[in-house]
Amino acid sequence: MKLRIRILTVILALCAFALVTQAQTQLFSPRTVEIMEVLPIQDGGRIKPVSTYADFTLLRLSGRKSLAQGEDGPKLRSTEWLLELVYHPDVADEQRVFIVSDDAALDAIGLAHVDKRKRDRYSLHELQPGIDKLFAKATEYSRIEPKDRDSVQTQIVNLAEAVDMYGALRGRMSLAVVPPDVSAPKDSEWLTPDEVALRETAPMFKDKLSAQQKQLSAGFADLQRKSEDPGAFEQQLAALSAQIVSTAEARHEYGRIPLERFYYSADLLTKAQVIFILAFLLMAFAWMMPRAKLPYRGAALFATAGVALVIASIVIRCVIRSRPPVSTLYETVLFITGVSTFVALIAERITRQRLALSAAAVLGMVGVFIANGYETLDKKDTMPSLVAVLDTNFWLATHVTAVTVGYSAGMLAAMLGSFYLIAKAFGFRRDQRAFYSGLGRMIYGVLCFGVIFSTVGTILGGIWANDSWGRFWGWDPKENGALLIVLSQLVILHARMGGYLKEHGVAAAAALGGTVVAFSWFGVNLLGVGLHSYGFTSGIRNALWTYYGIQWAIVLLGTYGWWRDRIRAQAQSEARRAMPSHAPAKPHTGGAASGAAS
Amino acid sequence: MKAVLRGCWDVLTSLGLSCVLLILLALLTYLGTIDQVDHGLFDAQKKYFESLIVWNAIGPIPLPGAYLVMLTLFVNIVLGGLVRIRKGWATSGVIVVHCGILLMLFAGLVKFYYSKEGHVTLYEGQSKSEFESYYDWELVVLEPTAKGTTLEHPLTPKAVESAHGEQGRVFKDPTLPFELQLSHYMRNCQPMPKGPMFEVNVPVVDGSFLSEMALDKEAEQNVPGLYVTLRGSDGKSTQGMVWGESRTPWMTEFGGKPYALMLRRQKFPMPFEVRLDKFTKEDHPRMAMAKEFSSDVTVTQPGSTRSLKISMNQPLRDKGLVLYQASWGPSNAKPGDPLFSTLAVVSNPSDQWPLYSCLVIALGMLLHFTRKLVRHVRLEGSKT
Repeated sequence: MKLRIRILTVILALCAFALVTQAQTQLFSPRTVEIMEVLPIQDGGRIKPVSTYADFTLLRLSGRKSLAQGEDGPKLRSTEWLLELVYHPDVADEQRVFIVSDDAALDAIGLAHVDKRKRDRYSLHELQPGIDKLFAKATEYSRIEPKDRDSVQTQIVNLAEAVDMYGALRGRMSLAVVPPDVSAPKDSEWLTPDEVALRETAPMFKDKLSAQQKQLSAGFADLQRKSEDPGAFEQQLAALSAQIVSTAEARHEYGRIPLERFYYSADLLTKAQVIFILAFLLMAFAWMMPRAKLPYRGAALFATAGVALVIASIVIRCVIRSRPPVSTLYETVLFITGVSTFVALIAERITRQRLALSAAAVLGMVGVFIANGYETLDKKDTMPSLVAVLDTNFWLATHVTAVTVGYSAGMLAAMLGSFYLIAKAFGFRRDQRAFYSGLGRMIYGVLCFGVIFSTVGTILGGIWANDSWGRFWGWDPKENGALLIVLSQLVILHARMGGYLKEHGVAAAAALGGTVVAFSWFGVNLLGVGLHSYGFTSGIRNALWTYYGIQWAIVLLGTYGWWRDRIRAQAQSEARRAMPSHAPAKPHTGGAASGAAS
Repeated sequence: MKAVLRGCWDVLTSLGLSCVLLILLALLTYLGTIDQVDHGLFDAQKKYFESLIVWNAIGPIPLPGAYLVMLTLFVNIVLGGLVRIRKGWATSGVIVVHCGILLMLFAGLVKFYYSKEGHVTLYEGQSKSEFESYYDWELVVLEPTAKGTTLEHPLTPKAVESAHGEQGRVFKDPTLPFELQLSHYMRNCQPMPKGPMFEVNVPVVDGSFLSEMALDKEAEQNVPGLYVTLRGSDGKSTQGMVWGESRTPWMTEFGGKPYALMLRRQKFPMPFEVRLDKFTKEDHPRMAMAKEFSSDVTVTQPGSTRSLKISMNQPLRDKGLVLYQASWGPSNAKPGDPLFSTLAVVSNPSDQWPLYSCLVIALGMLLHFTRKLVRHVRLEGSKT
């Protein structure tokens, strides 16, 4: 017993020693990082927490929102890294934050990269020998139009911009962290501590600064001096934060800061992605074991949870931004994923054929993957300020939402159409006519749902344009894209009504409709013309063409399936007609026909 | 004959024709969108959407233009979607939708023929009672009168644009002592001095000629020019050239009287005068991106004066004209520099018809598809 106690004591002592050692080497206390994360700043035209700024700055530099330290070292949170960069720049310079996608860019600036992978991260210290050449080359390449730059030139310009951004933050608090006076008008500018200090020396600005602004500026200068003492640093930062937060609260600019920090730190979308993947896997089991109920129920549960997380993300964003659900291209991805999976779940509830649930799992998985990929590729705050024409919640809530619901329906119909074609081509449940007619009805239903929103949404867009730009319709690429969706859906519905497209044809047309939606959604942005040239386009060209290719391949496969079934049906029909002559004992009524056949 | 009429009726009222027309419209929309990358919106619009036939639409293959397609679609919807369609509760929603679409197509037609578009650009304190076109240019002969005023004799943009080649077109104005022969019209050109080392295939006037340039994708950037010959009844003539961005008009004399000719963007009178009192541009804090821009204006017309604000998404509608906050400038203005405000001006008799059509279409679709959904759910319910 005594021995056990001794061993336990030794272990505890070792743990305590380890903790103390860690605390001694830690530059900032956990509390300091927490305070900093929810500190409000003004950036990109809005008030946001430092954590959001740090997340997207680090994402821009290193392609990640946290920093790995060594092979197995602990991860550094973005705000912790930002603190290091501002208050311990020499330590930050050793952190490998600069992503270089292809070491050919380093060859071009004559920088050695021994023991590194082709795509790797570098610290400022490692890049230092090549910095002069990097900026010289970047200046030269920046004169070339971005679309005409080759990959090495693009990387050099990007890397120089990243180093420049890093330099602007290095060693000083250059964020607009000093709020204006409580009585200042809404949307007044916040200042950086340096700007306040500079204005104090200028007679024309001096009187316009409040006592608190001067105090905060001096406080941040003091904070810089206390950077070597984590305890004093924490205390000073807490005092500054209390002042800033109380002013921001009094100006009604702080209310959504904790929610935004929660939104980004909770990373609901990554969780949703995992849940949708689980739903998809369970659904695969459900198809393999049609009699087992557990996989189906599990899949339904997970898909519902995934949809709930996506919807929660959308709602939280609406609250933070005080905007309707869709005002940026990124938000269209979230909304389309949310709506299409939600509609699929309702369709599953009505039909209970497992198909709509499968579609929900696939669409959820792909949609959330695209949303996360978009954020990583774009590397910008996903809640940006809007240009003047978009500053209208009425039209964002009506036109944009309606059109996006139309997109969602188009994508869901394309997914169900693809299921139909693939299943038919591979002879899945070949003898179950009801299975295919049920699926066909579902595709039709989703198309009907889509055509309402696409049509009304597109016309509402015209009415908005009439109020903003003076014309209802201007044949702008984005308008044309929306019109293409409406026309494609109308063609399918009319051709079905006229009997020109049967069940199989409707499925193929719906699958092709997916490419029309993708063209309208992302494709027109690649053209680089028109009034709606918002949203980033880099990196999506390949993804878009891959999607087009997949849909066309599925339609070709479906056409093959249709042709094969037709041949088979003809053969069976001929065999049936031939049958009476070989089986005279069977009674038949088509004497003349059988005579002709024989 | 009856059989032929019957055949025409069957074709014009068929769903097959609807499908073909919708597919053609989609194809034209796609081609017209892609074409904008190389040729800009203005030319793509003219070629694909405002034409009866699109020559060389896909390689050498021609296609009917969107104008022709939409006209045929209009007829198809009237005959097939309103006249021939079975009438009843089941089709009531579809009929309502068709009415809405017809209203929208008709609004487009009215706009195409009767709308005027342009802009009025004002600095603070400035006022104007006319607006000018973005794309259309008119030729104006200015004639001084005995009272010291100037009489304007305008020639329409259509007349100007038709003056192709050496022969061009001849126009007569009974109030002028000469006829005008317009020739060598170029949509985008620049006057150049003629050197001895090269020859040109256009007339050289006072050592200069009009040099044709490639069209700009932004149609409003193109500056046209042409040659004008004034010819009197005695056969005496004088030739000059006019260019859209000349600082001074072409000054000439005819019969001892001075005349000036100029090419300018077409002007339209407004039934009121607009004065810009104040232009406000507000950026997002700490950003060079406009959050809002608006113009405080005073509108004066016989018997009334009123002040109001025109901003993004909040236009002024008055006397058949709509004024929108379109842009501002100069783009390179430094802080404190005076800014101008550009208000887009549109005269469109069918201005609000799309809104009414949207309401009708939405109502019809709701009616139709709700009925279908209820029936479908009942059917599925009865199965389970």
